[in-house]
Amino acid sequence: MDGITAGNLKMVFGDFVAVRDVSFEVAAGEFVTLLGPSGCGKTTLLKMISGFLTPTGGTIHLSGVDVTRTPPEKRDTALCFQSYALFPHLSVLENLEFGLRQKRVPPAERRQRLDAVIDNLDLALHLGKLPNQLSGGQQQRVALGRALVMRPNVILFDEPLSNLDAKLRDQVRIEIRRIQRDFGLTAIYVTHDQAEALAMSDRVFVMNGGKIEQADTPEELYSAPKTSFVADFIGSANVLEADVTSTNGNGDVELSTPLGPLKANSGAPPMGRKVKICWRPEHADLTATGENRLSARVTHRAFQGHFTDLHLDDGGNGYRIQTNQPSIREGDTVTFSLRSDQIVLLEALA
Amino acid sequence: MTLRKWLLVLSLLTPGIGLIVAFIGVAVYIAAAQSFGYYNLAGESSFSLEFWDRMLDRKVFSRAVMYSIYIGVISAFLSVAFAYPLAIWLRKPFPGSLAIGAMLKAPLLVHGLVVAFLFINVISYHGILNQLLQGIGLWDEPHRLQNDRNAIGVLILQTWKNMPFALLLLTGAVQSISDDVLNAARDLGAGSFDRFRKVIAPLTVSAMQAALIIIFIGALADFSFQVIAGPTNRQSLSQLMVFFKDGGRWNDAAVVGVSLMIIAIAGSALLAAVSRIVMRGRIA
Amino acid sequence: MSAQRLNQILLVLLVSLTAIWLIVPFSMAILWSLVDPAEPWTADKLVPPVMSFYRWQDMWENSSLQTALVNSYLLAPSAAIAALALAMPTAFALGRIRFPGREVCKILALLPLIVPPFVTSIFFTSMLYQLGLHTWRFGAILFAHAIVFMPYAIRIMTVSFEQVRSDHIDAARDLGASAWARWKVAYLPALKPGIFASLLIVFIQSIEEFALAFIVGSPDFTTIPTLLYGTLGQDFVRPNAAVLSLILVVPNVILMLILERLLKSANPALSSGKG
Repeated sequence: MDGITAGNLKMVFGDFVAVRDVSFEVAAGEFVTLLGPSGCGKTTLLKMISGFLTPTGGTIHLSGVDVTRTPPEKRDTALCFQSYALFPHLSVLENLEFGLRQKRVPPAERRQRLDAVIDNLDLALHLGKLPNQLSGGQQQRVALGRALVMRPNVILFDEPLSNLDAKLRDQVRIEIRRIQRDFGLTAIYVTHDQAEALAMSDRVFVMNGGKIEQADTPEELYSAPKTSFVADFIGSANVLEADVTSTNGNGDVELSTPLGPLKANSGAPPMGRKVKICWRPEHADLTATGENRLSARVTHRAFQGHFTDLHLDDGGNGYRIQTNQPSIREGDTVTFSLRSDQIVLLEALA
Repeated sequence: MTLRKWLLVLSLLTPGIGLIVAFIGVAVYIAAAQSFGYYNLAGESSFSLEFWDRMLDRKVFSRAVMYSIYIGVISAFLSVAFAYPLAIWLRKPFPGSLAIGAMLKAPLLVHGLVVAFLFINVISYHGILNQLLQGIGLWDEPHRLQNDRNAIGVLILQTWKNMPFALLLLTGAVQSISDDVLNAARDLGAGSFDRFRKVIAPLTVSAMQAALIIIFIGALADFSFQVIAGPTNRQSLSQLMVFFKDGGRWNDAAVVGVSLMIIAIAGSALLAAVSRIVMRGRIA
Repeated sequence: MSAQRLNQILLVLLVSLTAIWLIVPFSMAILWSLVDPAEPWTADKLVPPVMSFYRWQDMWENSSLQTALVNSYLLAPSAAIAALALAMPTAFALGRIRFPGREVCKILALLPLIVPPFVTSIFFTSMLYQLGLHTWRFGAILFAHAIVFMPYAIRIMTVSFEQVRSDHIDAARDLGASAWARWKVAYLPALKPGIFASLLIVFIQSIEEFALAFIVGSPDFTTIPTLLYGTLGQDFVRPNAAVLSLILVVPNVILMLILERLLKSANPALSSGKG
């Protein structure tokens, strides 16, 4: 099969375990993002896939072939570096064709592949320039082109947008996704920016402490995080501890929380008697009068345009909600409801 | 720039660069003038081409020119050739790399004359090298290695003394290439030799040129190694110049000195150009 | 794994090679310096048959070693101070004033390193003869050393001056510091490592310098290098040369170790602070 298969990958540096026992599959043509805080092992994982690190244990298959010990120069992967890593002494054109010459692609095909990439990335005007004569965005496009022209089975991105300003980032993000689709590439994309991960990916692997905490579509990650780490890392969430007081066959779960009794029905049974739960600030409904009614005093208000952020205090328990009613002021008391299917049950507490 | 500022800059530069330019300028000027018959300490001073004329005809002169160029070029190439792989090897620190770096740079601390003495001590007729080779049965009798005809002794000394300097320059240049750039070349299919030829060499060419030129000029103008360890039937240009000067023949010494400078400048330009063409080997 | 193994093998190879390269020649020199004149060291013996410090004592008492030592160690610090003093204004201009032609000046400052030393020294001597100044040899050599080694001082001090942070100067000014106080607070701390490094480099270069001392100083002004040259030349006595070689090497090694320390502390990456 095409795509990437990793089995029980492990990487240890001295006494530091960077990646512990990670297994996953990425289908051909899929766009997967590795998301996590710095030190979570995402870059190490990327370096093992590209071949710059040989795993301490486990295997990697690309298109069904075991490449665990194949050096990067012999792997059918292309890596886009965070620093772009353009060759400073070569012109844009020479940078683009470096890999093709290295692989001894015949001139006619070389020409044709280059033209396709130059056209696609709009680089025709810059071919004779040296990298230091280009802007950051242009350098990024050359780096992308240099990887794309190789027509690799797998294209890898190591935080490629972190050196661009916000506006350009949005633009290049769309461009990367378009090209990945057009060329039908399997892509692995490393980032610590959750907005980027949600916007671009078919699936996101959220990593923490050398493990994949959850591998899911962006929508699933947002609406049904499995752990408090994921809930907190993706968007903002109010996480609290709760005792399970009763469950029934319909999936209704009754909880006792510091905010009072709450009812949850998110489809999954609780993982234990004592669990963590979370809910998103934007799910607080100030107009409804249904289940799970809560009220609290506003301690801080931040107007954000299309919504207003409210920090609430309920007898020493602080949390946040979002509302589209800008008229609420600090010191007011608000009352709101939460739908039971929007209260998500997370991991059990020991 | 106001006039006042210019005056300030000029007055600041005078004791430093001013003095350097005056001093070196005068030395070079006197050399050039004496080579054309001026400043004649012994006879009358007037313009004359006869010193150049007679010098260019002398066999000892043309042999000294060839010999000095030989020493300069080979020493420069050998030093750089040894230093390059070492610099690449020491690019990334590893356990023991600091100690190796220090040991390799040790010859920088040892004076050239001391080096020469230590060397002839080892290779002398009854020296340790001769004894060792006899001991293991390779040679039946001691060989005379000192002052060998091909100046291999001088070349060894020059390389020993200059390689650390080339290493110093090249290590800095090689270390300034980012890991990402080398990794990118690897990712695009370049093996170790291609990475050297297509990325490292073109990016370190200026440091290499600097090393080549400085070592070339130093070895070209060598005096002490030549006197102590060089072949006795040849003279280097510096040796020849000192010989004429000691004989009071200042004009002849001047001709040799000016030739030495011309060769130094022309040779440096040539070395720089050749190394650029070879090392910049663009793809293709 | 294999890279690590390769490194280990290379390491062992290189360490042993360097040991041969450094340890054998130096131990030979030490042994030769200990040969007692009572019995010569012949080829058939592994170590000298009779060892003593006679040569050391003899060289100390009966050669021009003492004068040479005095000359060298008087000359070197004087040349270091003179070179630094002459280099300071130029380094200030190159490091802190933007003016057209600055890059050309930086290259001109390297001139003494490019012209072969024997050319400089012979025609400097010729100039001295013309001016009739060739009799005060110490002064002539001092002057020449200060100029010929000034490029090192200019280079190092220019970098040091560039590293003085304008915001420090401005801050000192803002707080009402006088010119002298500004110099002490803003300039001196940044310049200190450079000053030490320049002094040390010129010192070492001057101690080692042969061409100028040999040409300008001959025949009667000896420094350690010219003395060693003489010992290696016409009157070559191996044990005596060994003694001199060792005397010439030891202080250099110590000074270079100090220099290494200084250069590390002057590392711009550590002291810049302007992210």
